[in-house]
Amino acid sequence: MDLFPQFLANGLVMGVFYALSALGLTLIFGLMRVVNFAHGEFYMLGGVSGWFVTNHLGLDFFSGLIVVAAFMAAVGWLVDRFLIERVRGQGEEPGILLTIGLSIFLVNGTLLLVGPAPMKVAGAMAEGPLFFGPIAVTKLRLLAVAVGIALIVGAHLLIRRTRLGAAMRATFQDPMAASLAGIRTGHVYAATFALGCTLAALSGMLLASIYSAQASVGGLISLKSFVVVILGGMGSFAGAIAGGLLLGVAEAMWGGYVSMGMVDVIGFVLVILILLFRPQGLFSIRTERA
Amino acid sequence: MTLERNILLAFLAGAALLPFAVTDQYILHLAIMALFYAVLASSLNLVVGYVGEFSLGHTAFLGTGAYTAALLSTQAGMPMWVTIPLAGLVSAVFGFAIGAITLRLQGPYFVIVTLSFAEVLRIVANNWIAVTNGPMGLAGVGQNLFGDVAVTDKAGFFLIVLGIAAVALYFSYRFVYSNAGRAAVAVRENRYVAQSIGVDPFGTAMQAFVLGAFLAGLAGGFYAHYISFVGPEVFRFAFMATMIIMVLLGGKGTLIGPLAGAVIVTVLEEYLREVQELRLTLFGLIVMAIVLFLPNGLMGFIALRREQQAAKPTLNAAKERTV
Repeated sequence: MDLFPQFLANGLVMGVFYALSALGLTLIFGLMRVVNFAHGEFYMLGGVSGWFVTNHLGLDFFSGLIVVAAFMAAVGWLVDRFLIERVRGQGEEPGILLTIGLSIFLVNGTLLLVGPAPMKVAGAMAEGPLFFGPIAVTKLRLLAVAVGIALIVGAHLLIRRTRLGAAMRATFQDPMAASLAGIRTGHVYAATFALGCTLAALSGMLLASIYSAQASVGGLISLKSFVVVILGGMGSFAGAIAGGLLLGVAEAMWGGYVSMGMVDVIGFVLVILILLFRPQGLFSIRTERA
Repeated sequence: MTLERNILLAFLAGAALLPFAVTDQYILHLAIMALFYAVLASSLNLVVGYVGEFSLGHTAFLGTGAYTAALLSTQAGMPMWVTIPLAGLVSAVFGFAIGAITLRLQGPYFVIVTLSFAEVLRIVANNWIAVTNGPMGLAGVGQNLFGDVAVTDKAGFFLIVLGIAAVALYFSYRFVYSNAGRAAVAVRENRYVAQSIGVDPFGTAMQAFVLGAFLAGLAGGFYAHYISFVGPEVFRFAFMATMIIMVLLGGKGTLIGPLAGAVIVTVLEEYLREVQELRLTLFGLIVMAIVLFLPNGLMGFIALRREQQAAKPTLNAAKERTV
């Protein structure tokens, strides 16, 4: 049992990144109702472009983070305006297919450009470990987690405190009424998609500074983000965070005590159980029946 | 209905003549893969097109079938005529179990949970080394049809997969034009109206789902023997993406659509092999183009054109009358 606090800490670290990525998806999938299978590819693009700006353009970590955020927001905006908008209001199916196509395109396009090798984002500081009693965490991880938490808080403030956030909330409550009130809903949809895309990408870049970015990682990340969104409840901000931490800890415990190879199963088993016994998600207030 | 049946029969008859007309092994291989995918696409179409729920976990049944056949063949040395039907049956049992859980869900939840099941099976296949041999897969699956009679050439395999395709199309046809099939369409179009006239949505969806699983299992069993190797890749999303593209390109909810889709996509994939590295990138672009410009697939496009053709003369007649 002496390793328990260490597993817990590792799980919470991973959980923050799952939460960040899932937060992006809860906006796109939970609110916009786009079953976005390219979400993991946005995450991957974040890691790869983070590698590019820090290793090839020679930016430091934080200005790299800002450049990547701006770039991925633009990508998200364009994807929404040129692709997603054309199938809006036609149910889930065209969106699923469109994003599957997009994800195939993005993965293979990235493979063509940078190849399959893992790419390490240059971190902000050295790897030295810090000890808190029995727990060892590297400084780099601690910093990445801090940035991740700051981003989560930032996204929360953006949605709760700004005009854009108010417009988003209005649009997802009632698009018709929102557009009657003079909100340009087309822009709001695009902005929401861009925000979701950016959150995923930044999660990818932060994690790539701890581990490394790879062109083919996207599929699994998409699935795990869906798992977290369903765990937490569709469109629930707090749910995505709690679900992300839960998944991170559950995986760390399973990996630590049971078997490393089957770690990825845990998320899927959780989602199957959740949908059987509590289909509205763990934290959703809305009683939406699956 | 009769037109659909006649086209299907003509397709099968034409295909049956192929191995006598063509001896090129490469073309025969393409034809085998096209028919293999046609079976898969038709089985997926039963769920996507007739139940109207978007299953992303169909590889679960393909993989189950493939592993069943491979295990029966390598462990017990059974010939193909036993293993392939058994592969279908085992997949059908899996389909019943998975359907019992997933068909209670709708929309995006159904999509994610079916996908989760396929992923769970993939990870199990990857890690349960004692049975599945893990990532190394099961190699050397036998190719004997009855007892010691082995299938040695591509023409033989072509006739086997043609037989499976005929079975798949026959079952699909019988299902679609049965009461259960019509009930499934009623549920797809309007769940509440269907329920109000006494259709049990869960039951009809289950029939289609289990039949789809059975057919996908047959295809999987064939695949194991034909390729002679089964690894965890059979559960991968790439297979799923190919199947979906075939169904939607051809037109879901029609029997001919998935068939046409399978043939077109198989040929297209081979053709794009010329531009090796760009292949999958272009494939992604083509998928997006289909969704944006051909939302109901080829069959939908043809149906639309025929409606327009039919509407034109009456329009002209109406004009003349006003003149």
